[in-house]
Amino acid sequence: MRRTLRIYRRSLGAHLRAVLEYEADFWVLIVAGLLFQVLNLIFLSAVFAHVPALNGWSYPEAVLLAGTYGFVNGLGPLFFEGTWRLAGKINHGELDYPLTRPAPVLVQVVSGGIGLHGVGDLIGGGAMIGWGLAHSDIDWSPARIGGGLLLLASSATILLSLIVVGNAASFWVGGNHPVFAMTLIRTGDMAKYPLSIYGVAVRATFTVLVPYAFISFFPASWLLGKESAWIGLLTPLVALYCVYLARLVFRLGLRRYDSAGH
Amino acid sequence: MSLVEARGLTKIFRRPEKDPGLRGSLKHLVQRRFKDFRAVDGIDLSIEAGESVAYVGPNGAGKSTTIKLLTGILVPTAGTVRVAGAEPHTDRMVNARNIGVLFGQRTQLWWDLPVRESLALLRDMYDLSPAFYKQRLERLDEVLGLADLLPVVARKLSLGQRMRADLAAALLHQPKIVYLDEPTIGLDISVKDRVRQFLRELRQDGTTLMLTTHDLGDIEDVCERIVIIDEGRKIFDGPLAQMKDRFARVRRMHLQLAEPTPVEKLAERLPDVEVIAGDSPTEVTVTFDRFTHTAGQIIAGVLDVVEVGELHLDEPAIEDVVRKVYAGELLR
Repeated sequence: MRRTLRIYRRSLGAHLRAVLEYEADFWVLIVAGLLFQVLNLIFLSAVFAHVPALNGWSYPEAVLLAGTYGFVNGLGPLFFEGTWRLAGKINHGELDYPLTRPAPVLVQVVSGGIGLHGVGDLIGGGAMIGWGLAHSDIDWSPARIGGGLLLLASSATILLSLIVVGNAASFWVGGNHPVFAMTLIRTGDMAKYPLSIYGVAVRATFTVLVPYAFISFFPASWLLGKESAWIGLLTPLVALYCVYLARLVFRLGLRRYDSAGH
Repeated sequence: MSLVEARGLTKIFRRPEKDPGLRGSLKHLVQRRFKDFRAVDGIDLSIEAGESVAYVGPNGAGKSTTIKLLTGILVPTAGTVRVAGAEPHTDRMVNARNIGVLFGQRTQLWWDLPVRESLALLRDMYDLSPAFYKQRLERLDEVLGLADLLPVVARKLSLGQRMRADLAAALLHQPKIVYLDEPTIGLDISVKDRVRQFLRELRQDGTTLMLTTHDLGDIEDVCERIVIIDEGRKIFDGPLAQMKDRFARVRRMHLQLAEPTPVEKLAERLPDVEVIAGDSPTEVTVTFDRFTHTAGQIIAGVLDVVEVGELHLDEPAIEDVVRKVYAGELLR
């Protein structure tokens, strides 16, 4: 495990150094990420200019929710960007070499790139979380702080696992682009608004089928003490399940891999 | 037990069977039909430690697929493989430490990274100690001229440079057995020579080599054993010299005649052989089967008709054999 982490870290580090060679790109990407979060904020502000609350969620609470989703989403490009290249790699038979090296293929794939726009997401999302927390009515205690951090880590784990699951679908779907993963992850954008505004079907889907609700809605509900806040405490379990699922799907996919040419 | 042991190795790919055009594609969505394609069909292969084996066959014969099965990249449909005691596709990590792989058509270097960074990543994956890594880099620099390439980003390398860097990457951890899939493809003569020289040195160091190639110079320079496959089946396996004995039956004699002589006259005197006119009326080429005729018989026959000035004889070339295999002329 430690060895695997070391390989992951070194690989990511090498790609970070490579990306930093292009200084202009670096700033453009960060600003782009930041801009995306600002747009989210403008949209929320526009909605709340007309209504005082969304199904019991105040403006700061909604900002906290969107900020959490934005923050967690920034981790994908920063730490799992290589995953998005999986479809192309499968299509071009580029998993051949990774399969002949003594390191987990998933680790080699995941650490095969870095997207700096994630930094903008982290800064923007982080600022929104900070502002949201400061303006919400939260009963702070050491347990709440620790719990909050645990839930944040779990929610990040869930999203990263879903990115892997979505992209691993390329082992079955084929094609050069991660169409399935794009659809899966973009659908998750709905989770940046309070889930309670949606109908039962959508809520059930996002809770059970694809657990987007555990990325921001349930953890935030627990932190803010909303109704059925206890569900938020299931987030770590859901995270474990997602990790298991991601590894399983990737492993099964890898068995199907049949390279390119012959 | 041999270093590499494959028994009844088989790989069947399933290919979608579509009618042409959009109509065909749409139809395939509803009514899925597939056709099996046997890329590798029951191959038995044993390679002893220290051997260097050329794996030869026409395009699409199943060479690369065999390599991918032996390296654990593909899971066999049937049959067994053992490499240094490990089953490649199940003991992937164990096997990975024993083998080095190079696919000449593709690089294993990280596209956006300098060569140095790629090699450092491999060092981490193979758990090489700093001392060992340094010593290997020095050795590889000696034979491949690596030093100039280290700071260059992979995508900026020329093909020859890339191949040298890729060889270094494949051999960094000093593998027991090295699989090379077309290691000289697209290289110019001087780089090709350098690569072959490197492969010969590798062989002298006791490394086991298996290489697929269309370049027969590679084979004669580097390998002592040749395995020929076609349509996924093995059709020859043995020493290079034996292959020539068995399949290279055709010899060619070029004669310079004392006076212009019609080809027909010679052909009359020499039935069962092929006599072809040369560039000038005094030149002819006689092609004969060395199992039915000796060179002496041919010369005697020609001398009956006309005086001979000069002559020279083409020895059976490995090219001829392989060309015949490619054209499907050899008996299976």
